[in-house]
Amino acid sequence: MKHLVSAVLLLWGCLQLAHGASNRIFVTNERSNDISIINGASLEVEKTISVGNRPRGIGISPDGAELYVAVSEDNAIAVVSLETLELLRTFEAGSDPETFAVHPNGDIYISNEDDAKASVFDPVTGRQLAEIPVGLEPEGVAISPDGKQVIITSESTNMLHVIRVPEHDIVANILVGARPRAAVFNNSGALAYATSEISGEVKKIDMEKHAIIATKKIADEKAKPKDVILSKDESKLYVAGGRANQIIILRADTLALLKKVPVGKRVWGLAMSKDGKRVFTTNGVSGTVSVIATENDQVIKTIKVGKFPWGVVIDD
Amino acid sequence: MKTFLATALTLPLFLGAAGAGAETAIRLAFIGAEADSAYNGVLQGVKEANLQGRFLGWNYSLSRFAAADLEGLDPGPFMAFIVAADAEALRRAGRRFSGRAVLNVGAGDDALRQACSQNLLHVIPSDRMLEDAKGQWRQKSPGAEIKASGWHPDFVKFAARDLNKRFRKAFSQPMDQRAWAGWAAVKMISDSIARKNLTDPAALLRHLKTDLSFDGQKGLDLNFRDTGQLRQLVLIASAAGELLGEAPVRGVARPDDVDSLGRPSCKP
Repeated sequence: MKHLVSAVLLLWGCLQLAHGASNRIFVTNERSNDISIINGASLEVEKTISVGNRPRGIGISPDGAELYVAVSEDNAIAVVSLETLELLRTFEAGSDPETFAVHPNGDIYISNEDDAKASVFDPVTGRQLAEIPVGLEPEGVAISPDGKQVIITSESTNMLHVIRVPEHDIVANILVGARPRAAVFNNSGALAYATSEISGEVKKIDMEKHAIIATKKIADEKAKPKDVILSKDESKLYVAGGRANQIIILRADTLALLKKVPVGKRVWGLAMSKDGKRVFTTNGVSGTVSVIATENDQVIKTIKVGKFPWGVVIDD
Repeated sequence: MKTFLATALTLPLFLGAAGAGAETAIRLAFIGAEADSAYNGVLQGVKEANLQGRFLGWNYSLSRFAAADLEGLDPGPFMAFIVAADAEALRRAGRRFSGRAVLNVGAGDDALRQACSQNLLHVIPSDRMLEDAKGQWRQKSPGAEIKASGWHPDFVKFAARDLNKRFRKAFSQPMDQRAWAGWAAVKMISDSIARKNLTDPAALLRHLKTDLSFDGQKGLDLNFRDTGQLRQLVLIASAAGELLGEAPVRGVARPDDVDSLGRPSCKP
């Protein structure tokens, strides 16, 4: 009985540990080869850690226990404990892993920029589960909330490749504007939004018909769009404008321009808090992170981080 | 088991999807020497066009001819011609293949641009563009010993790094401006064909001249001037070949004002 109680307590403890989010924000700094860790309450950098060379893509395990960082120059994914902030392990992740997304089942879907392929890894064992040939310079990875669809953008081939899970076959190749960089699904997975950097466009895609249903050219705003995220209520799209140095907010239904929010220089990465109240942006050339309050879409703080901040993720 | 299943399923299904539907063959002609770096650029471009084509049902093939064989060449089977030769051979190719795109990847002569031929498209920068690029740089750094070129093997911005890496891996040599132009010529053709489903050479020529929107890994949406010259960045290197920067030179011209580099008008 005593043992059973201990076991239950231990299990409970583990669950607590796994679900106790730290409310920290993690930022990869591509050129200073480190990760800035921002306290979610004070919005100050509380710690900087190094986990490998040219850190870019960043994500968190579904149980909230581990942080994953694509260390591109090391051709690996670094796994960091979110509790102790210590490097737990690294595993080889193909040539030049750049962006990845974490599937609800825990697997990691990676774009391997050099190899014209996407790969699937089990981050627990570090084993590769599948490899899917895609177009040239694959970049953005988006996974539908139900985990059944994955979009890989190939920048030089100008396509969105739609991959079925668990089959891991390509079910559609959707030609979009030049240099597609990022995509995001809506909550039901029936729609997706994708940015094209060189053509300066945002496209809205019907994911049942695999058809483009709306295009918004934002090149006039000098935008070279990169990351795109959807507000919690799915009414607004936040688009990182790259060298336009601003976040471009569009209506998710019509893609009409709602607002432009100036942030730092060469803004690429975006993350939204789970409560939908804050958006964090990585401003590469400025070396800063901007915090936007979504209530009125104003910047409430600019935080100095490392050199060329790239990706951002929130442990909340 | 999970691994085995995933791997076993991936390949056949993927090939099945890619192989679905009949492929449309597109033939391109390269006119120039086999040893010309432009030819390697074209080969790289064709390889990448097929990488895209396998998803969309296009299959590209390339035939190479010497400039001396131009007169006997039947244009019939070819969608477009990519020429790495001197100005005289280009003029002849333009006349011989009228109504079809002839892409210049080797000659910088300004007179070719001023002639504003209806089917000559100059992917490689003109001599005047290179001179203007150097002029802009010297306004900022007077007396600098510099070289200007349409490409540099150490250029990394705008995913140039990826292209340089692919080219070096394939040919064990650095990508120079002729190789870039060869690659870019095929890329703009294959992009246009994929976007507009073009199978008619005249329609391709029209599209390239008036409606091109193309990513040449130079950070801008590239298109042609009415002279047939491709608007583009020019790269500045030291006399020793070390990459120094780009023109339009920031502070002298607006970074996106590529028309600040060499803009002859059509000669009446």
